[in-house]
Amino acid sequence: MAILNPFDRPCRPCDLKRLFPVWVVVSALLLSGAIEMPAQTKISREYQIKAAFLFNFAQFVTWPPDAFTNAAAPFRIGILGEDPFGAFLDETVRNEKVNGHPLVVQRYRSAKDIKDCQILFVSRSESRRVKRILADLKDRNILTVGDMEDLVESGGIIRFSTEKNKIHFQVNLEAAKNANLTISSKMLRLAEIVTPEKD
Amino acid sequence: MPLRNLPIRRKLMTVNLLISSIVILLTCTAFITYEIITLRKAMLQGYSTRAQIIAANSSAALAFQNEADAADVLSALKTDKRIMTACLYDDQGKILAKYPSNAAAGVFPDAPRASGYQNGCLEIFSPVVQGGRTLGAVYLQSDLSALTDRYRVYAGLAAIIIASSILVAYLLSRMLQRQISLPILALAETARVISDHHDFSVRAAKISDDELGLLTDAFNQMLTQIEAQDMAIKKLNTELEQRVVQRTGELEAANRELEAFSYSISHDLRAPLRTVNGFAGIVLEDFGSQIPEEGKRYLERIRDGGARMGVLIDDLLAFARLSRQPVNRQNVDTARLVQNAIDELKPQRDGRQIEIRIGNLPPCQGDAALLKQIWVNLISNAIKYTRGRVPAIIEIGCKLDDGGTTYLVRDNGAGFDMKYVNKLFGVFQRLHRTDEFEGTGVGLAIVQRIVHRHGGRVWAEAEVNHGATFCFTLEEADKL
Repeated sequence: MAILNPFDRPCRPCDLKRLFPVWVVVSALLLSGAIEMPAQTKISREYQIKAAFLFNFAQFVTWPPDAFTNAAAPFRIGILGEDPFGAFLDETVRNEKVNGHPLVVQRYRSAKDIKDCQILFVSRSESRRVKRILADLKDRNILTVGDMEDLVESGGIIRFSTEKNKIHFQVNLEAAKNANLTISSKMLRLAEIVTPEKD
Repeated sequence: MPLRNLPIRRKLMTVNLLISSIVILLTCTAFITYEIITLRKAMLQGYSTRAQIIAANSSAALAFQNEADAADVLSALKTDKRIMTACLYDDQGKILAKYPSNAAAGVFPDAPRASGYQNGCLEIFSPVVQGGRTLGAVYLQSDLSALTDRYRVYAGLAAIIIASSILVAYLLSRMLQRQISLPILALAETARVISDHHDFSVRAAKISDDELGLLTDAFNQMLTQIEAQDMAIKKLNTELEQRVVQRTGELEAANRELEAFSYSISHDLRAPLRTVNGFAGIVLEDFGSQIPEEGKRYLERIRDGGARMGVLIDDLLAFARLSRQPVNRQNVDTARLVQNAIDELKPQRDGRQIEIRIGNLPPCQGDAALLKQIWVNLISNAIKYTRGRVPAIIEIGCKLDDGGTTYLVRDNGAGFDMKYVNKLFGVFQRLHRTDEFEGTGVGLAIVQRIVHRHGGRVWAEAEVNHGATFCFTLEEADKL
């Protein structure tokens, strides 16, 4: 029986995107406080991991076919508001494809600018407007992600949380269902499922 | 004991058992080999599938580097006691999770490699792929107890099957071999009875209608023929014996009659001969003066003829007597016997210069009087036929060889032509004229008769004017 060697593709150390698990481990070490790091570095490591998570979401979430204008249309990861990722996200998605759609990072100043987008990271800078923004986007096929405490209550789909210095994520299944997005059960195994209280 | 010397029943059983055992053994071997190959393939397939399931379930854990979830996915393997260790590699070949969770890192291969049976266990590697991206690999290591357990079951089954098959084959061949062995044994028993008791009236019982039945029939037919021939031979033998006895009796009677006849003739011839001789002598003595010289000469010739006839009759009587006289066998000192014979012949040697050379003469078994007669006759012949030879040489001796003792008398006398040798020992047969060498022609006939009565052989070799050699044996070589 032919056995597939999972690593028969040559590994390119220079290719930073392929090294994200290393960053994750390094970050985990840093986050666990094993090494004292300046606050700025700690935060940037955190977003490095979150950038990788955003990329992984693209892998484990299924968008309806009409979420794209055509089969070769770009897969957009949008950032609304202040960009906490710096260059990490751009590096993570560079030259990557999801189901044939090339990954593109798009930065939005305002919610009105969002036209064709699959994953939207709502920055903390938008915390005051988040409820309205998410309400506007709730019926579109956009996976809304953020790290604000009230993101899920506000109608967002995935919220990053930090627990014991590790990054986890919460998933609002109802919101995902409204957005017509299917989240892989494998990813849900890792997630904390939350249901926002009805007002 | 080699197979070919075994009794036929055991031979048949042995052959049957041997063949069935080999067939069963080969069948079991083939079956088990096939099963083992299939089993190993199936096991590899089964664990590959399991590894692929684990791989599919652990893609998220690998993507999000969630060790707890990875360990959780692997912990599902605990339902299979045969899985010894398992782990998840990320795409850098680093171990993200282990099973069992307390396993030492050293038990895992440094990097994923080909799946297969290695170091007494089964190793499976399966890549973890998500959306076309390889995220890592699953490693599974199972012991081979699944295989060895099954091997044990197979071995047990094979043993039971082989044992029961051989038992069944044994019982069947025990029953079936009778079909073949019984008729053969019956034949063999019949043959034994016949050869032991020479009773050809016995018949073999026919048991089956196959080739063995044919054989039995043929055997019985042969017996019938042999019996008939045996009876015919016995009858012929009896008849023959009766005929031999009858003929022998007739022959003996005729012989006796002939001997009596010749004896009485010889005896009865003497009386008239004596009359002729006597009156011829009286006429010469009493009326010699009145008879003219020519008449006297005729009368002399009548007397000479009568005297010669007397000698002939004496010799003939002696010869005839030999057949009636029994041979009285005893140890005989041949050397002394020969010396006596030579002494007896002294008058014949008077005035002759004869050199007699006597060699070694071993004692023998025979009738002394008859044997002496042989020597007297042969030496007398030698003296007679060397007349005129100076010196006359007579050698007496013997030869010892495989054929026993051969006695010989050799002279350097007149000899004879070998083409008449077959006449030499006949009665009244003479090779020389009477005026050359006197004699009746009975001497050698007597020698031959005595030698024959001793069971021996007599012969002669000679050359004209170069002497003769007479040889005889007293017993045939094969009787010694």
